Amino acid sequence: MRDKLYKWIPWVVLFIVLIIYPHVAGIYYTNFFVRFAIYALFAVSLNLLLGYMGVLSFGHAMFFGTGAYMTAIVLTHIEGFPLLPAVLVGGVTGGVLALILSPLLVRVSGTAFAMLTLAFGQLIFVAALKFREVTGGEDGVGGYPIPPLSIPGIISIDMKDQVSFYYFAVVVVAICLYILWYYTKTPFGSLIVGIRDNAMRVSYLGFKLSHTKAINLIVSGVFAGIAGAIFALFQNLVSTIGVLDIGNCFLPLLMAYIGGIGSFFGPIVGSAVLHVLEFLVIRFTERIGLVNGVIFIVVVLFAPMGLVGLLRMVKERWFTRSANQMSTGTSS
Amino acid sequence: MSPTAVLYVSQAIHGLAYGMLLFLVASGLTMIFGMMGILNIAHASFYMLSAYFCYQVLQMTGNFWLGLLIAPVVAGICGILAERFLLRTVHKQGHLAELLLTVGIMVIILETVKLFWGTESLVVKIPEHLDGLLNFAGLSYPIYRLFIIGLSSFILGVMALILYKTRLGKIVRAAVSDADMVNALGINTPLVFMLVFGMGTWLAGVAGVAAGPLLTVFPGMADQIGMDAFVVVVVGGFGSLIGAFVVALFLGELNAYGIQFIPRLAPILMFAFMAIVLAFKPMGLFGERE
Repeated sequence: MRDKLYKWIPWVVLFIVLIIYPHVAGIYYTNFFVRFAIYALFAVSLNLLLGYMGVLSFGHAMFFGTGAYMTAIVLTHIEGFPLLPAVLVGGVTGGVLALILSPLLVRVSGTAFAMLTLAFGQLIFVAALKFREVTGGEDGVGGYPIPPLSIPGIISIDMKDQVSFYYFAVVVVAICLYILWYYTKTPFGSLIVGIRDNAMRVSYLGFKLSHTKAINLIVSGVFAGIAGAIFALFQNLVSTIGVLDIGNCFLPLLMAYIGGIGSFFGPIVGSAVLHVLEFLVIRFTERIGLVNGVIFIVVVLFAPMGLVGLLRMVKERWFTRSANQMSTGTSS
Repeated sequence: MSPTAVLYVSQAIHGLAYGMLLFLVASGLTMIFGMMGILNIAHASFYMLSAYFCYQVLQMTGNFWLGLLIAPVVAGICGILAERFLLRTVHKQGHLAELLLTVGIMVIILETVKLFWGTESLVVKIPEHLDGLLNFAGLSYPIYRLFIIGLSSFILGVMALILYKTRLGKIVRAAVSDADMVNALGINTPLVFMLVFGMGTWLAGVAGVAAGPLLTVFPGMADQIGMDAFVVVVVGGFGSLIGAFVVALFLGELNAYGIQFIPRLAPILMFAFMAIVLAFKPMGLFGERE
């Protein structure tokens, strides 16, 4: 009973902190947190492939970007399009894109997978630049109306208010993260990890490798698309540089790696670290990319499991030492 | 010649020039991949770095030939240093870590270039005796592009001689097909890896210098050719030089005629071509393994 209580305390604290945060921190930091939350979801969706399935998606911005674009386009062209469906449109777009690409992507792994995702990401980037009528080219799509969150006849919350949008974004991201967390704990989630560790054995056990991989790919695409949709609602502007460019492919990768790809919460930690870091570094130099690159190399070289991995290692070392004191021999 | 024929022929030479440049970049990439299993995302960054070095040499001495000589060598040394001190340390962690490391190197090169040379396009002047047009059978064509074709063919020839006629070439080819076995035979494969990495980046550097006067030098110059080189390596088959050659020339022509006739779809054509090839031959046209 007490154990359960302890387990709940951090979550309750987190919940309360999240509720009072915008009122304490002010608008600037509220928006800062929304950005963090969007990228946390984006990075977790990437980690679904990188950490759980063991393939590097180097063009993950295409799911994020198409989700953002589709939400923006739908809001521009359909008058009075409601808020939640707009978010769903982003997710569906990301998922459909993943579905279209999956026949090619599931056939390869390792470097070839990274290559293919990179190539398709660039293809979509170029396509978005060229098809000016739909995407607005380099200018992007902007100035579309942000619909209020409304249940007809009962309530209507204006989403142009930044504090309300904060609550909305945080709730959506939290729900998505919970779904993803639950997803990784299901037997299907274990199957994905199994594919990473020994694909052949999973295949011999009678599971269809290609279908399993495709489903995971689609799930990842859907949630990256949702992150993109929230981004589109948040910024009220979607342009190729910013959602589809190679930097946006690199960012979630960096987050996942800094936080640790071996854990579900790693990318969230990574997103937080990177945003705080950017906030600090931008005061001294404009070369945030250089700082990010150096950090990335240092992490890959010295802490391949990221911050969460580092923390685990330290914890394990202390834990085993105390275990050794109690009973020598059996622990290792 | 009739105007249409002139158009077709000059587009073909355009395509050939770009295809040869592309092959210089892609050959290093495919050799590094075939041998070490590393997909060097930063490969095109060395191409860009070399173009900037050449610009710097030109600023200091005003001699293009000196730039052509020095810049690729410096870029190659940068490549060797990156291999020796960064890539080799993560080699035991597997290919994913190596791939990610090259991503980091790419970002750092890009940002360093921006830091030192700014973000605007820098113009590299075509050297005097290569400037101008060559008139031949009613067709006038810029000499510089012909020079690029000649230079690339020369390097290609030398490379083929080294690869197929020397002991070092034999070792390299053997290491491409099975590095562990070569290592077991008592050859210092890490050294061979380092040399090949250096040579690959040197090739990219030569291409960068050659491309400088043609396309101007700017921080985004790595993106275009980098993407094209990746497509060449994927479609040609990982580690296959012949495949890289054929596909690079084909893509060069596809690009040239694509821009001529369907300018909006030209970049997409290339990816469509890749998707079609991969759908039927996942290993690429000339590839033997993944």
